[in-house]
Amino acid sequence: MIEFTPGVVIPLLLWGTLVGLDLVSVPQAMISRPLVAGTVAGALAGNVEMGLRIGVLFELFALDVLPVGAVRYPDYGPATVGAVALGVGTPWELGLGISAALGLVFALLGGWSLQVVRRWNARSIQRRTAALAAGESSAIRWLQYGALLRDAARGFILTLAGLVVASTIADSVRLDRPTAVALTLVAIGSALAAGVNGAVRSAGRGARLRWLLAGLGAGILIAAVA
Amino acid sequence: MNRRFRALLRLFAVQGTWNYERMLGVGMGYAAEPLLEDLKAIDPVRHGEAVVRSAEFFNCNPNLAGLALGATARAEYEAVPGAQIVRLRTALCSPLGSMGDQLFWAGLVPALLGAALVAVVLGAGLWAILGFLLIYNAIRIWTAYWSLQLGITSGMRVGSAISSSWLPRAIEWAGPAAALALGAAVPVVADWYLLSFGWPAVIGTAGVAVAGFALTRWFGPGLTSVRFALIAMVALLLFRRIGL
Repeated sequence: MIEFTPGVVIPLLLWGTLVGLDLVSVPQAMISRPLVAGTVAGALAGNVEMGLRIGVLFELFALDVLPVGAVRYPDYGPATVGAVALGVGTPWELGLGISAALGLVFALLGGWSLQVVRRWNARSIQRRTAALAAGESSAIRWLQYGALLRDAARGFILTLAGLVVASTIADSVRLDRPTAVALTLVAIGSALAAGVNGAVRSAGRGARLRWLLAGLGAGILIAAVA
Repeated sequence: MNRRFRALLRLFAVQGTWNYERMLGVGMGYAAEPLLEDLKAIDPVRHGEAVVRSAEFFNCNPNLAGLALGATARAEYEAVPGAQIVRLRTALCSPLGSMGDQLFWAGLVPALLGAALVAVVLGAGLWAILGFLLIYNAIRIWTAYWSLQLGITSGMRVGSAISSSWLPRAIEWAGPAAALALGAAVPVVADWYLLSFGWPAVIGTAGVAVAGFALTRWFGPGLTSVRFALIAMVALLLFRRIGL
């Protein structure tokens, strides 16, 4: 677990807020991808290795999501930051499972919080319907700024809650070694299932499936050689 | 600052006010504001109407929203009837959504992430992540710029301009690239995680992966991979607690 000092917590809170904003609102630069969010969180918390391990794990889960249209999906960004905060300071074989459990719960919470913000945005637009119908540019601007602020607050609150719960778990939950390792293996197995699911869904049938099988062959070869 | 450049910058926040009623509508209105500024001096009434239209319902992939933004802004300056502009906007929703989603969400993003995952495992670490961010953002910023420019230059003829552009060909390549990269990433990542454990652990993890894959496909959206993982973890803790 990270040390709760301002030097560590403030950058993590800032990073969690940024990745929360990046998912949908601005700038969608993909810093919210778990691989990026986790690695940077690991670097900020002083353990890049743990950040990478958690980031890669959550990336497999995230690849199972196709964020098209109005589909609802988990928000892995702030959740990854909380998970990394919990895992830092523990060997990854022991800390990955419990960190993943925390992160996945917060990813679901993050997805739910997105719906709350979207409904809030709709209510805000309804309140300004007259101004929008009158063609007031200022109304559009203020709606946009308000929505961005709400999403930033969402990312901040999620990250803060993640850090607080991570601290509580670190203080109160003691897993024996076999249980911690088994939890890590379950997390890895589930993530691999999600990754395969995402790959198969994106490949579909026909020519793309052949490309997937070619990639699978190449991957097995790389794993054997590396 | 150049008005087109301001509109381009605002396009990166086009989903800022995302909601289930107007979807990207208000974000499009926000991005359209700099482009429509000159219309205020030419025809204030038309400007007001254009602002109203710009913030109405709209949905598409955010990376291609510039095509619709540019085309409708051009149409406003050409005094195309309002109903026709609304029809163009509505007609662009599905194709721009479908093409953008195939190119970015089902193509470029998984392709680059698959490659980044392999590179991370092979020891590239932070460089792999930096490379992913640089390549992805270079492509999407260029695409946003190209989209806005093409929209502005083609106006109401934006549909034919899109079909004769590089976009349909790129989509054909993006899907297979994603399949190849993801296919390669999964075994490499599995090896990276499981190398530290013995064979019994590897077999157990493979069992969880197979069960997860089968069950999440069987139950569909009711049992997502995240829910499966959490249920499996809770089940494990319960089994350990009762000594199994």
